[in-house]
Amino acid sequence: MSILTIDEVRKTFTNGEVKEEILKGIHLSLKEGEITALIGASGSGKSTLLTIAAGLQPASDGQIIFEGENLITLNSERVRKIRASKFGFVFQFAHLVPFLTVEEQLMLMLDVSESKLKKQEQKKEVNKLLKLVEMDHRRNAYPSSLSGGEKQRVAIARAVVHKPKVLFADEPTASLDSKRSKDIMILIRNLSKTLNLATLMVTHDEEMLSYANHIIKMSDGRILRSIK
Amino acid sequence: MNIAWKEIKKNKIRFLILGSIVFLVSLLTFIISGLANGLSQDNAALIKNLPNGQFYMTKDVNETYNLSRIHSRTQDEILNKQSDAVAFSIQMGFLNDHEEKQRSIAFVTSTHSEFFQNVNKGEIILDRSMEDEGIKIGDILTNNQYNGQFIVKGFVDQSKFSHAPVAYISVEDYKEMYKVNEMQLLFIPGDDSTQVAADLQSFSKNEFLNTIASYKAEQMSLNMIIWFLVVISGMLFAIFFYMMNVQKIGLYGILKAIGVKTSVLFKMMWTQMVFITVIALCISIVISQVFNLMAPKGMPFHLTTEATIQLSIIFLIIGFIGATLSGIQIKKVEPLQAIQQGES
Repeated sequence: MSILTIDEVRKTFTNGEVKEEILKGIHLSLKEGEITALIGASGSGKSTLLTIAAGLQPASDGQIIFEGENLITLNSERVRKIRASKFGFVFQFAHLVPFLTVEEQLMLMLDVSESKLKKQEQKKEVNKLLKLVEMDHRRNAYPSSLSGGEKQRVAIARAVVHKPKVLFADEPTASLDSKRSKDIMILIRNLSKTLNLATLMVTHDEEMLSYANHIIKMSDGRILRSIK
Repeated sequence: MNIAWKEIKKNKIRFLILGSIVFLVSLLTFIISGLANGLSQDNAALIKNLPNGQFYMTKDVNETYNLSRIHSRTQDEILNKQSDAVAFSIQMGFLNDHEEKQRSIAFVTSTHSEFFQNVNKGEIILDRSMEDEGIKIGDILTNNQYNGQFIVKGFVDQSKFSHAPVAYISVEDYKEMYKVNEMQLLFIPGDDSTQVAADLQSFSKNEFLNTIASYKAEQMSLNMIIWFLVVISGMLFAIFFYMMNVQKIGLYGILKAIGVKTSVLFKMMWTQMVFITVIALCISIVISQVFNLMAPKGMPFHLTTEATIQLSIIFLIIGFIGATLSGIQIKKVEPLQAIQQGES
């Protein structure tokens, strides 16, 4: 079932008197339990599309419909609330909070999403997820003592601990070696299925495309082709 | 989750350095404030300990109280009209003890009043500091301009003027010593009128204090140092939090991206600021109060609870302003920018 629909989305940047259209009317649907990979050359507009779909920057025109609401017309507080409770984010770098332990990173996300779970239940949920990403043995470790792969596992756990509907992943494997990249992609695929997540992922790495259900190739702000 | 506390716990050294700086600046401010207040007491406790009211001296003396001579008729009229009004005079001079040791003194005489010590001819009441110097009740003191002798009848606390202990003497003795029949000043407690006689100029307590030679200059210099330290502490907060915030711009952006409210980030910064300031101020207050108790008797140090509370509140306000100004950049952080910047 389609959970997030991008319809005729355009993005124009103005540089002095020069107007540059980065996205030229994009149509796209994200389905529960499926991974959609955005590929394309640098400057093709894939990262811009991901950040607009995630409510991190406004579109110039079009609609992004999520659970019946158009993100483009919502106020910033409502968009923040949706980001906090319904979306999860994984970036190229883990971007963990340096002064929180692995367990606290996940507890923070539950706080931010205003989880209705009691503290004990939250702890249980965090423990369950840490086991799932095989990081339960490092629950009390700080980010500075984790390897790149471990950090990214924690970042993924943080992105899904509050049970979001959509996972946005911007080059999640770009800072990792080939072996760790595959591990991370397997993890994302498993979580997408287990948690019924719609995942939108930007990647440069063609090896990672085998984990995607849909591949969308972008060029010059347009969708060049869509492969199922 | 209290992320402010978690950050302090993880980065103890960073916050310890900031706390130490706030502690040192606030301690210095408390000590200078105690010194300013002590000097102020040493210079004018006689006047400062009087209730609020109006002081009057003659108009033609260019605000120099010791040149003022209030006409006896004017004085009588006012004293008859205002039962609690008092006429008094102050003159600097010397007292010699039985060893002929000369001590600088501020002689004060007044008409009968509850605000001044009333003594009979040949008697003298001294500031307590003279007792500390070995003068005892019953001792005989002399003055070169006085033919008789003064017998010490007692001591009073906090009675100083122009950095000298006050000696209360009778009006008759004062007239004999200084060869004047008129009093210099009139004081009417609680009075807020500015005109009681055509030839008199009125002063509030603070205005009168400023006519005392050296008082204004001394207090201005010390107050300037105090305010300078307060401003420095505010700037320290702004600079320190600015530096910490600059280092955390990426983190703030990511936190905003995952949905953390900007207000939560501000609360985190304010909590840290209040935590550091309160601890630093508590330590400063304890040390300055210990100093207050242990300061040598001759050192004019007087730090009141009121002044300590006032300065502490000012420190908290200035710290809050400094931290908030530096935190404006938190509001400006774009999540997107932080994501694109990479990991710090």
